[in-house]
Amino acid sequence: MARMLLLLWSLGPMLWQLYSSLRPNEALSGMGTGGWTLEHYRQLLQSDPPFLTTLLNSVVVGASSTALTLALAVPCAYALSRLGRRQARALSALVAAAAAFPAVLLFLALLELARDWHLANQLLALSLPYAGLCLPLAILLLTAAFADIPIELEEAALIEGMGLWQRLRWILLPLMAPAIASSGLLVFLFSWNEYPIALTWLSRSDLLTLAPAMARIAGSSVYTIPYGAFAAATVLGSAPLILLMLLFQRQIISGLTQGAIKG
Amino acid sequence: MRRWRLWLLMAPALALLLAIFAAPLMHYLWLSTQAQSVLTGLKPVPIGAQQWLRLWNDGRFWQDTWQTLRFSAASVSLEMLLGLAVALLLHQPLCGRSLLRTISLLPWALPTTVMALGWRWIFNDPYGPINQLLAVLGLGAMPFLSNPNVTWLAAVGADTWKTTPFVALLLLAGLQTIPSDLYEAAALEGATAWQSLRRITLPLLTPYLLIAVLFRLAQALGVFDLIQVLTGGGPAGSTESLALYAYLNAMRFLDFGYSATLLLGSFAILLLLCGTAALVWRWSSRLQGELR
Repeated sequence: MARMLLLLWSLGPMLWQLYSSLRPNEALSGMGTGGWTLEHYRQLLQSDPPFLTTLLNSVVVGASSTALTLALAVPCAYALSRLGRRQARALSALVAAAAAFPAVLLFLALLELARDWHLANQLLALSLPYAGLCLPLAILLLTAAFADIPIELEEAALIEGMGLWQRLRWILLPLMAPAIASSGLLVFLFSWNEYPIALTWLSRSDLLTLAPAMARIAGSSVYTIPYGAFAAATVLGSAPLILLMLLFQRQIISGLTQGAIKG
Repeated sequence: MRRWRLWLLMAPALALLLAIFAAPLMHYLWLSTQAQSVLTGLKPVPIGAQQWLRLWNDGRFWQDTWQTLRFSAASVSLEMLLGLAVALLLHQPLCGRSLLRTISLLPWALPTTVMALGWRWIFNDPYGPINQLLAVLGLGAMPFLSNPNVTWLAAVGADTWKTTPFVALLLLAGLQTIPSDLYEAAALEGATAWQSLRRITLPLLTPYLLIAVLFRLAQALGVFDLIQVLTGGGPAGSTESLALYAYLNAMRFLDFGYSATLLLGSFAILLLLCGTAALVWRWSSRLQGELR
């Protein structure tokens, strides 16, 4: 019973979007019964710029942000887990506070940054603020995972004469794979969903990522809106994420919960 | 390993963190003492504390503060209650539990702007499903998005839908750390389910509840995406949040000095509330420790 309620609560709104996206507008507004239609999807895919471009932009930003975040967070987390207790504690507290900070409060300064350094309307440049915003969570997750690796393992490798780079490459990273995967996924989710910074950094419509593109679709009046097209956009916009969640549920959930326990 | 090499490994990440978090706040401190708007030709002109005086006397700032607090208080407390319920449900050994867990987490994973658009359609008057249901039940339509007394509740509903799964997952992680023999011992002593919830679960879950509250409170006080897409701050400014007001000042009124002041003001409110929450928790847990 309670399970059915939870399912209905979680899926209901999404199923309603799916249903609306497949019905002609007349049927949605009570005039005529209409059948089923793919018209809304056709419109969306042929709009200018096509919706697939928007999705592709989000993928590009997501992938580059994830790569940059991990490249910075892995060495940092390693060092943090090997640092003395007092310093590591103080740094982790600051990092945890940054993880909770609402990113929107930074938009104005970041906008000026984009203006001064000519970073606006460049998809790859967006990974700079995104990596910065995701670093706190990634560092917390990875530090906890590094701390779980027994130090003896590394000492043994040290005796074998392995340098830092070799130890990272052959001993630490393989053991870290699950933690790296879950932090990477969380970063990807974040950048796929981020709105205020994308909104202020990107103005060319062919460069928009998903979140600002959705808001632009919503930009018209609240009352006279082609809701079928809206619904189709929400369905296409969430489909990749739902797929990602279903594929990587274990990593995402463990990443989230580890973040809570250790952070 | 030598200490300086550790710091060298951390340097790039720390530098980016400073640039993204610390530098903006410093920049706002400076910008809030400047007039930089259309009136000054978008050039910064020092004006001392005038922006802060203006903030103090700005009715819209105080109204938005109240609206943001109202929204945060309502949505965070709802999310905690529902999140706890969902976490308790998911903690029970059921068949299909991991699938249920994934499905219940889906709302959290969807972009806020995407579902805000979806909610606009769901709340539509008269064609949205809720109003159609009300009509079938013979009740009047509910103007979710056009009545200032109701719209903020619609926003709370949409926010609760999206972030309850996140809270539930955090609390579930907490539940999994509680050893089950505690419950078995309590059951042997004849404790009811309610008693073991109150005496075992809740006290041991407090650290997780606190983390969830602090995190959610900070995020809710900065609410922006949802409000901007769902209501645009309307009707009649009744759902405008502090972040949205700051955004409008920068992007629509081109008043950068005041926008920075508003952002710092929001940050101060956030620090005050989250700091108080953390202190109260510390203080009360110390008190409990002494009583024991």
